[in-house]
Amino acid sequence: MVAQSRGFRGAAPATGGSLATKLFEINWLLPTLVGVLGLVGVTMIFSATDGVWRYGAFQHFVRVGACGLVMLVVALVDIRVWYRLAYPIYAVGLLLLVGVEFFGVEVNGSMRWLDFGVARLQPSEVMKPAIALALARYYHDLPSHRVSHIVGLIGSLILLALPMSLILRQPDLGTTLLLGTTGVVVIYLAGISWRVIGFASAFSIVGIPLFFKYGLKPYQQERVLTFLDPSRDPSGASYHITQSKIALGSGGVNGKGFMQGTQRQGEYVPENQTDFIFTVIGEEFGLVGGMLTITIYMAVIGVCLWLSLQCKEMFAKLLILGLTTTFTLYIFINLGMVMGLVPVVGVPLPLISYGGTVILAVMGGFGLILSAHLHRGVELPRSA
Amino acid sequence: MPPLLPQSKADKNLITRRTAILGVGGIGVFGTLAARLYQLQVLQAENYRTLSDNNRFNFNMLMPERGEIRDRFGVALARNEQNFRLVIIPERTDEIDKTLDRVSRISPLSPGQRDRIQKDIQQNPKFVPILVKDNIDWETFSALNMRLHALPGIVSEAGHGRAYPENGVFSHVLGYIGRAGANDVEVDDDPLLKQPTFRIGKTGVEAAEEKTLRGSSGQLKVEVNARGRIVREWPDPATRATPGKDVWLTLDAELQEFAAKQFATEDEGDDSGGVCVIDIITGELRTLLSMPTFDANLFVSGLSQTDMDRMNNDPKRPQYNKAIAGGYPPASTFKMAVMLAALESNLVDPAKTVFCSGKVQLGNRTFHCWKRQGHGRMDMRDALKNSCDTYFYEIAQVIGIDRIADVARRLGLGAAYDISIGGAISGIVPDGVWKQERLGTGWRAGDTLNASIGQGFVLATPLQLAVMTARIANTIDAVVPHLVISQTLPVFEPLDIDAEHLAYVRDAMWAVTSEPGGTAFRHNPFGVDPSVKGMEFAGKTGTGQVRGISTAERLTGIRKNAKLPWKLRDHSIFVGFAPYDRPRFAIGTIVEHGGSGSKRAADISRAVLGEALRRDGSVDMSTAETGALE
Repeated sequence: MVAQSRGFRGAAPATGGSLATKLFEINWLLPTLVGVLGLVGVTMIFSATDGVWRYGAFQHFVRVGACGLVMLVVALVDIRVWYRLAYPIYAVGLLLLVGVEFFGVEVNGSMRWLDFGVARLQPSEVMKPAIALALARYYHDLPSHRVSHIVGLIGSLILLALPMSLILRQPDLGTTLLLGTTGVVVIYLAGISWRVIGFASAFSIVGIPLFFKYGLKPYQQERVLTFLDPSRDPSGASYHITQSKIALGSGGVNGKGFMQGTQRQGEYVPENQTDFIFTVIGEEFGLVGGMLTITIYMAVIGVCLWLSLQCKEMFAKLLILGLTTTFTLYIFINLGMVMGLVPVVGVPLPLISYGGTVILAVMGGFGLILSAHLHRGVELPRSA
Repeated sequence: MPPLLPQSKADKNLITRRTAILGVGGIGVFGTLAARLYQLQVLQAENYRTLSDNNRFNFNMLMPERGEIRDRFGVALARNEQNFRLVIIPERTDEIDKTLDRVSRISPLSPGQRDRIQKDIQQNPKFVPILVKDNIDWETFSALNMRLHALPGIVSEAGHGRAYPENGVFSHVLGYIGRAGANDVEVDDDPLLKQPTFRIGKTGVEAAEEKTLRGSSGQLKVEVNARGRIVREWPDPATRATPGKDVWLTLDAELQEFAAKQFATEDEGDDSGGVCVIDIITGELRTLLSMPTFDANLFVSGLSQTDMDRMNNDPKRPQYNKAIAGGYPPASTFKMAVMLAALESNLVDPAKTVFCSGKVQLGNRTFHCWKRQGHGRMDMRDALKNSCDTYFYEIAQVIGIDRIADVARRLGLGAAYDISIGGAISGIVPDGVWKQERLGTGWRAGDTLNASIGQGFVLATPLQLAVMTARIANTIDAVVPHLVISQTLPVFEPLDIDAEHLAYVRDAMWAVTSEPGGTAFRHNPFGVDPSVKGMEFAGKTGTGQVRGISTAERLTGIRKNAKLPWKLRDHSIFVGFAPYDRPRFAIGTIVEHGGSGSKRAADISRAVLGEALRRDGSVDMSTAETGALE
């Protein structure tokens, strides 16, 4: 009985409510902010494609709408279903990644896509919510005294290492690191002891240089080196960074005005409707537009952290925090790359960059967050 | 009840604490991004704005229209004509080869042209139009236009191209234009030269008057994208291109064409040689012709290998400007210089006769007169009229080579004239110093004898022979030739030869053409046209030997020129001026392997001088001259 009362403490219970009640009880602040970001994306893609509606802005609009529906559906599904499906979804994600290995479509020198005829899917994007689900489930099931134990640690590292190695082979350094960092954060949140963290840090200091030397393709090494020393190759790898910084810097405080960006018109920044879309925001809307965008992102992240605090099941908390970490890393890597703070690794700006799978994965992820929050009163099984 | 595990509470606190730490980390991350954005967009904004403008703007060059080249009456000799051409824009087609094949079916492209197109395509961005073919005639152009839909990437254009309408007779003078080469760019830093479609003068007047003809470029500010394609043009600051100025030549286009026609033969095509007509007062060249000619338009549109081979293998060497760069032995036309040297030296009495037996013995060498049986007794005037070699052998020995060389130089031989077109050679007026320097051996008496009849080492061009004759006819000024009409009138040095001596020589030259028995005698030399009937002229024939004549051949009879292969025939040479009593024009004519000077060269000179006089009388000079000097 104590457990039950604990289970229903806090916000309104949502287990037995009708569909309408559940819809009403969803935290609507999060979908609103997500929708705003989607519309920012539509606007900037419209500008990046020289104001031709059907060159991307329209598709993005439709995708944001459709994925919004998916998000709500995911949110309404009981958290226990997601709990049960955590490993199967992870397994499907792995299978898709293996599929890329054999049937992948090559774009710009890396195999990231699966072509299903009607649509192309990027399995590494699917893997991002999947890994959050799997790790949340793993640590939910793992008794806390085993978290810092070597066997417990190895289990989570295997969960991480399988998709990471497959994605690295594509090759996609950005997503690999993003996945790895998400995993590390979840392990940290799960309560691993500082002793192990200290150990791991020491190991990384030795391991990262070795990884750089043997784990990276020459072009990836080149990108990292060019980032560290841009004069290495002014026209090649650092061209992106230079032109992107020119676009942002020349925007100044107020920007050049919507559709007025000369760097954009001159097509100086490649991929500016996908990975480099922030350059269009910065050039046309200046510091004001850039800061506003960053603020909306921070609001989304803040809301997510707040939602996680309201949950009490380990699975729900870790799921929300894992997904939020992934989302934050997306933003940091993308903006850092565009501003010349981190190497060019090809990570999109979530919800704003053009690209279907990313929107689906990100909004599906928000659906999971909403679901975890909506069903915060539901008790999940926990082994001893 | 097992559901609540002992560590749940601890878990919750731990994860909340750790979430808080994560949140602080997140704020740190976003703080870093915001700071970076502030740095880029506020602190360094000015710097990046400049970089953005550098990206954005280019200054495109506007090309000036080239000046035209006209004759003295304003007839266009080189002009800018509408030029139909095809270009291909590589980015608009995936099948460049197929497209070019189809073009070839209508307007053939040589393998050389195909190579050039492919090379240009590789060296330029894909949106830059590459010239496929220009100077296409209207019919072919129309046919191509009809099929443009089947020729992806091909664009037809009507632009301006250089055209030389006067049938090739000015080719040597005008030269031609072409794309600037590496050497041109080295000496001339005008950025126009680096434009792929810009053409500069390569030879002739086109090259010599390049500064006047070229004009200067204008500038247009354009906004370009990352691949260099123009996004839009900015009206300001734009400067127009300044077109090049026209260049007016002293030449008379119709006279030049008339002269060219005189070189035609019945069975051997055009004769090879050069002719030069000069105004004896001003030094203006009315005709400067080298034969045979070539079509300079071929050089503009790109010479095919066949055309090139045909020109290079032609024994008559059409590209070679024989009028200024062809050095020939002047033969008997040199005798005026010897005569004047003798008169100026006061060592020879012109009335004193020399007996010509047909040959002169010098040591163990025999020097022959062209007339084997000899001329008999000859004074100086008769010697020139009959072109008696023996007389000149004798007086040359008296006066010596140095005096002859001095007078020859004063008459304008041995000097390269800068007539605005490159390539004029100096010829040779030999003397002891020259021979020592050039051949390293001393001057011998026999050399003087050879020189006295314009053979041996002596070399002159048709231009030099015309100048020599002009100076003899002018009496006072050492006339210098020029080809381009300029604002300033030429000032000449004094000739510094006794006027009486010159009059004596002119009289002897008159005898050559106007006294029965003279080597070039003819009644009414210029015809019976009222404007020229009764006009007299004076001149001198020359027959330049191009082969040694053996003793055996002399004994058995010298072979007639007509029976010899073309290459071995004598050069036919003539100099003259007209009218005799108040000279206007002088002429120098050489017909390579044309036989005796009294025939081919004399006939051409007579006809051309007559035409020059006829045109001089009939053309209203007052209007033409003002036009020329504007």
